Amino acid sequence: MKVSVLIGGKAGQGINKVSQIISDVLIKQGHFTFNYRDYPSLIRGGHNFNILSISNTRIGSHESKVDFILAMDKNTIKIHKKELKKEGIIISYEKFKDLGINLNIALAGAFTKILGIEKKYLIKEIKKELNNPESIKAAEKGFNSQEVKFNLKKQNNKIKIISGSQAVAQGAINSKINRYFAYPMTPATGVMNELAEKQIKNKFMVFQPENEIAVVNAALGSSFAGANTMIGTSGGGFDLMSEGLSFQGISEIPLVVYLSSRPGPGTGVPTYSTQSDLNIALRAGHGEFPRVVIAPGDPKEAIEKTNEAFYLTNKFNCLSILLSDKHLAESEFSTNKKPNKILKVIANKKLPGKSIVKASSYEHDKFGNTTEDPKIIKKNQENRLKKYSQIKTEAKKFEMIKIYGKRTSKKLIIGWGSTKGVILDAIENTDYKFLQILYLMPMSNEIKKEIKKAKKVVLVENNLTGQLGRIIREKTGIEIKNRILRYDSRPFLCDELRKEIRNKLK
Amino acid sequence: MNLDTKNEITWCPGCSNFMILNSVKKAIKKSKIKNFTMVTGIGCHAKIFDYLNISGIYGLHGRVLPTMLGIKIGNPKLNVIGFAGDGDTYSEGLSHFISAGRYNSNMTLLVHDNQSFSLTTGQVTPTSQQGFKAKSEPLGNFNTPLNPLKLALSSGITFIARCDSKDIDHTAKIIEQAIKHKGFAFVEIIQTCLIFNKEMNNLSKYTYKVNNSNMKKAIILADKWNYNSKKGKIPIGIIYKEKRKTLEENWPQLKNGR
Repeated sequence: MKVSVLIGGKAGQGINKVSQIISDVLIKQGHFTFNYRDYPSLIRGGHNFNILSISNTRIGSHESKVDFILAMDKNTIKIHKKELKKEGIIISYEKFKDLGINLNIALAGAFTKILGIEKKYLIKEIKKELNNPESIKAAEKGFNSQEVKFNLKKQNNKIKIISGSQAVAQGAINSKINRYFAYPMTPATGVMNELAEKQIKNKFMVFQPENEIAVVNAALGSSFAGANTMIGTSGGGFDLMSEGLSFQGISEIPLVVYLSSRPGPGTGVPTYSTQSDLNIALRAGHGEFPRVVIAPGDPKEAIEKTNEAFYLTNKFNCLSILLSDKHLAESEFSTNKKPNKILKVIANKKLPGKSIVKASSYEHDKFGNTTEDPKIIKKNQENRLKKYSQIKTEAKKFEMIKIYGKRTSKKLIIGWGSTKGVILDAIENTDYKFLQILYLMPMSNEIKKEIKKAKKVVLVENNLTGQLGRIIREKTGIEIKNRILRYDSRPFLCDELRKEIRNKLK
Repeated sequence: MNLDTKNEITWCPGCSNFMILNSVKKAIKKSKIKNFTMVTGIGCHAKIFDYLNISGIYGLHGRVLPTMLGIKIGNPKLNVIGFAGDGDTYSEGLSHFISAGRYNSNMTLLVHDNQSFSLTTGQVTPTSQQGFKAKSEPLGNFNTPLNPLKLALSSGITFIARCDSKDIDHTAKIIEQAIKHKGFAFVEIIQTCLIFNKEMNNLSKYTYKVNNSNMKKAIILADKWNYNSKKGKIPIGIIYKEKRKTLEENWPQLKNGR
């Protein structure tokens, strides 16, 4: 069973609170939720909406049509009426005009009743979240205003709600992070805020320097001094960091970078999503040096892959880039699966203060002294390449790719990152196979084999030019011409993608 | 403490960087402080990285200050000293300089100011005098020079000094005090470039020594010389000094080391 509800209103009216209360009530009843957040770049006013999708099994996407609209203003009805299913229902703010700031709570209450959940569970949640008599009254008023339309039976699932940002922060804490440096930039800021809140309890430090150039250079200083260090940014900030990444390549000071994408070029579309920064993650920085690029597809993977990024960075004193986007970072997923066992992150370098240690942005000899000797330069260059193959060997211990769907299927879908949720939902009850690529650099040799086994292949990406397709072609010599690309800054919708996949794999 | 290395020194013969290197060694030895970690920028000054036997990072051009800050945040027990050029500090990395005053991390920045980009064979920097004919400015520099001391004062830097590289003992004494200052210490060292900005050589005769910690007087002292002409007197020594809580004292995570 699947139910979807769109919650809309002005920024500041408490839309997120509605989806949070409903989801929190639902997961305790053993039901899964996926909350998509859609908001423009403003703080008060405008039009924001969330689409909360509810299911009795796992869910990781939303659809183009919704069953319900909870409207906090006139605009919501005007804009979204066309997205309502034929038999769909609008619950309007007009019924609760007298409730002021508690309008959102009343709407949450109304929808809880519709789902057929007992009032006591709602009130318990309101008490936990807000605990004021006005809010409780509003929740009751909302609840009593509706008729039960569904009968969601309690299921025996232990479910947790987590966003991609929270998951990356958790992965960093699991990896025993000491320092996080970042400059605010949507949609990477979520991780900074999450870590900042947890810094004292977990004994690490979050520092916001004057700009992204300072961020990357301070991080290299911090890591050189012995702190387990991570930085975070989005595309524009990442561009500013490029020289620092190249500096990492020659100095071999370990560094983990979280890159959360939003549509570019330029300032682009700050609060929406894209997968168009794969190219810069793979290539940014002059010169030739090894790096790791990993793209988790959901919060569970974000926890695990952040840990792997720390592990590889510390083992090889290399650069690891964790690639995410707004859709993964800010959507709220529900899961009943526990992440893999935490990898122990072990540093592998000498520290200043104990002996003389020199790191350099110049080509240098083994003591850190500047050199222009062609023999040493040649050897250093070759060592950097050698390190890349060592990283690849080590990375094979981890899940560099994942395969879902029907294993023997000759019809293959290839994707990466935040499209995982929607692809999984779209291929439910089909006989397709889905190859998810998690390691973009180094890349698994299995990818070529999987493509060769398939009769029909389609590439799914949230960008204009099919950046994964390009790197697959580079690594395997195979060009995937069959592509489904979306680049209007919005994520794929399950029903639409299902149709497109069916067409492309016919 | 042996601070020497076996690396061949590749500064031009007679370059005042030799004198600065001497002053630094003297100051470090006299301070009796251990666990020094240095950061250098890119330029003639930065070659000092290969000539000092202490740990450190040969950083990127313009990024000496954030790299130093990172080291302090990574391990506040390390004593961090930075070497940067005028191009490094006042051009490529100016935003870091202003912010360093706000943070007041317990570290020392020495700026080798020869009023020109020299390792790139002679171009103007923000402190170059007007009329300076350089390779990139054949018409002569039209821009008014930046006064680093005034900028430092308005940026909230808690230790501000100026030295003349040719006065090795005085420079060493000031560097030692800068190292011992609790907070961010900035030492602007006037040096000559014998090859590319000869016009500004031989400033020593205009210098006189001061030791001040009063803000009103500091503004007057900073205003004495505008980096433009050979008119007027050039105060050297401590221009301004104050006590303020450091970054390391403010952050609970840094209070007892990491």
